[in-house]
Amino acid sequence: MAPLNQGKRCKGIQIFRPFVYGTTAKLFDPTTNPKPEGTPDDHTHSWTVFVKGVDDTDITYWCRKVQFKLHESIPNPLRMIENTTPGTPFQVHETGWGEFEITIKLYYVPESYEKPQTFYHHLRLHPYGVTEAEKEAMRISPQIISWVYEEQLFNEPFESFYELLTSPVDRSKGTTGGKGKGTRLMKGGMVSSTGERTALVPLASRPGQPFSRETEKAEIKRLREAQGKVEEMVKLAQKDLQDKEKELAALKAS
Amino acid sequence: MTSHDVRDMLDLPQEGAARPIKKQKVAAPRPVLKGLAREVQNLSGDNPIAIVPEGSIFKKRRFASRKPAAKWELRPFRNSARSDDSLILRHWRRLDEKRKLPPQPAGENRDSATQTMEGVVGGEEQMEDSGFAKFNVQVELFDYSPEEYESRLRSEDWTKDETDYLMKMVSQFDLRWPIIWDRYEYEPPIPEQAPSEADGNARAIIVAPKTRSMEDLKARYYAVTATMMVIRKPPIKMNSAEFSLHEVMLNFNPEQEKARKIFAENSFLRTKEEAREEESLLLELKRINARSERFSDERRELYARLDAPSSSSHTNNFTSSVGLGQLLQQLMSMDKSKKQRKSIMGGEGISPAGPSGPTQQNPDHRRESSARESISGPSAPNNKKGPPNPAERRQLSKEEEEMYGVSRHERIGTSGPAFRQEKIFKPLLAKSMNQQKIINNVLTELEIPPRLIMPTADVGESYDGLLTSINNLLDCRKVADKLTAEINIARAQKAERERLARESENAGEGGDVGAGAETVVGTGGKGNSGAPGSVNGTTTTTTTGPGPTNSEPRNEEKAGSPTASVKGVAHKRSASVMSAVSDKSAKRQKK
Repeated sequence: MAPLNQGKRCKGIQIFRPFVYGTTAKLFDPTTNPKPEGTPDDHTHSWTVFVKGVDDTDITYWCRKVQFKLHESIPNPLRMIENTTPGTPFQVHETGWGEFEITIKLYYVPESYEKPQTFYHHLRLHPYGVTEAEKEAMRISPQIISWVYEEQLFNEPFESFYELLTSPVDRSKGTTGGKGKGTRLMKGGMVSSTGERTALVPLASRPGQPFSRETEKAEIKRLREAQGKVEEMVKLAQKDLQDKEKELAALKAS
Repeated sequence: MTSHDVRDMLDLPQEGAARPIKKQKVAAPRPVLKGLAREVQNLSGDNPIAIVPEGSIFKKRRFASRKPAAKWELRPFRNSARSDDSLILRHWRRLDEKRKLPPQPAGENRDSATQTMEGVVGGEEQMEDSGFAKFNVQVELFDYSPEEYESRLRSEDWTKDETDYLMKMVSQFDLRWPIIWDRYEYEPPIPEQAPSEADGNARAIIVAPKTRSMEDLKARYYAVTATMMVIRKPPIKMNSAEFSLHEVMLNFNPEQEKARKIFAENSFLRTKEEAREEESLLLELKRINARSERFSDERRELYARLDAPSSSSHTNNFTSSVGLGQLLQQLMSMDKSKKQRKSIMGGEGISPAGPSGPTQQNPDHRRESSARESISGPSAPNNKKGPPNPAERRQLSKEEEEMYGVSRHERIGTSGPAFRQEKIFKPLLAKSMNQQKIINNVLTELEIPPRLIMPTADVGESYDGLLTSINNLLDCRKVADKLTAEINIARAQKAERERLARESENAGEGGDVGAGAETVVGTGGKGNSGAPGSVNGTTTTTTTGPGPTNSEPRNEEKAGSPTASVKGVAHKRSASVMSAVSDKSAKRQKK
């Protein structure tokens, strides 16, 4: 099945690209979010499921198309999204009343010679969260967002794909392969780093762009703190252990 | 339809070579034609008839653009660049039609030939300044005070007086060095002005005229000006133009200038024969260089042939038709490149590789192709793959690697796309469901959500760290649980022993207490009932008996797998204890 002339895999090399996927749901409301024509009466929310680059960067140079598999009750549940302009998300807009698991399948550019990969995302329409406060905050907010940061790893990519991933955008070439339309790339200067093929994540979070170095650092900090706690617990447990051993020894000796 | 088509249909012979020339003639007037003229032209076909008179257009245009003749006026003007203010000249200017006021200055058209001398012109207050006045540019010279001269500008060779004279000359002749040099006639001040130098001898020395070359003058002037520039404005504050000027003046090298001029003069005075000889020598040099280059090329080729590893091991690449086809293509492409290089070399005119020398070139060609074969042998498998091989892969710098998210690993499990989150959770998911549940409980206790917010490489590492410490904790807890169980058992044993001791005492007093329930111990008690002194002995044996059997499983447990369930161990132990006891009692029964 493997096509001819695809070269070799780069041994020991791993390349990653960050991206974001998730859903954004909004309750129908006569004033702010009116029901569009032809929406069934029992539908309560409008929602969007998307796959996009972090900070709206271009991902089309490695991700050719995305298939969203919606619930069977929705007409035409298999939605294939392709040919999006670089810097805009692969997305599906729908209306509905219930939450379900969406199957998302990423198709890679032909240069990669990689098979499509699947992951799942739970559509959230109602406030969720561990604590009541979190739920309350979500209830107040105009929309229910469930966004997930993910990193696409390419383990040992083929050489042609390696070249593609590690070279800057050739702006002179315009439309070649899945790299999108040249004009849009030129305009990309406006949308911060659109058109740059980096794996870098923005330094600071902005409204609507929650994933950044800051968030990462906060997460690492949280994990470290948790680890610290666990370590303390381990110490306590060890002390307890020693006490118990002594007790046992004492019991044995008597 | 053209005459050409007609000819074609009638099978008339085509016109010979004369035609293209005619066509070219036609091409020129054609674009000019318009309207009816063009139609007529088209009718005539390939052999145009000269109906349209050429040049008629020019006549027409002349009548079309008739305008009233422009009015001119003789106007006085002054030249501000001149020192004599009284001089007023007149020139013809076009009369400004928009503004009827005559004394206003007009456009740029001027006729300097009509300048005439004229006295004072009355009635015109504002006189036009000459357009050429702006070209009267004065050289900007740096003035230096005597103190500055003393401190910075002193020279062995130059007196202050002569420097002053040089500066004067420079400003007078606007830095035109040949003129300055030509007019430079410095005479040292007459000794009467300096009373100390009244001596005739000294005077003779001073008077002796120093002949200054142009380079001397320039060097002095540049030195002075550069120094003054620095004094007036420190180099840091200079703009780029000033600074570059300063640099140029500072780096003036009179010796080099002299050499350059001598060289230029010599080459100017060279005879035709000398020039020709030089040219031929240069050509000869070029030829020698080319020859040596070719020689070294050939030698390199020879070395390559000698060094080439034996191609026998690679022949199996060419046994299949595909391999042979590729080899052929490769050879063709190499041949092409070789040929191109040849033609370039031939173009230089070293070896006239014309069409006359195929026989002469043949051995050369054969040798090359044979060399090529041996060279291409080992390289063939490399090129077969098409895209660059790993050695040729672009090397990325550290920053680039970070930018493009490239990392290197000793061992990557599977090649192909994957997701970080999954990868991070892999070690967790590899555990049993039970373990997962326990670990997840700990995580929720720590308020870590089951999904990572940002599964990056760094986050993954710290998550790994967290997991290992959680595992440590769980191990500790497990061991602790085991110990508690052991302690409980030990306690139970102790209680049991105490009870046993108590019961045996009771049995010693009388067997009526432990009759039905305690059959094992009871029988033992009955067997020894005769001697109360030996009761103590049996109790000691029972306590020491289980001792070693008890400690043995504990060691085993410490060394062994912790996965074994605590209860099981406890059961085992209790069973062994019981069996040990029952063994003893059985022995006793045999007795």
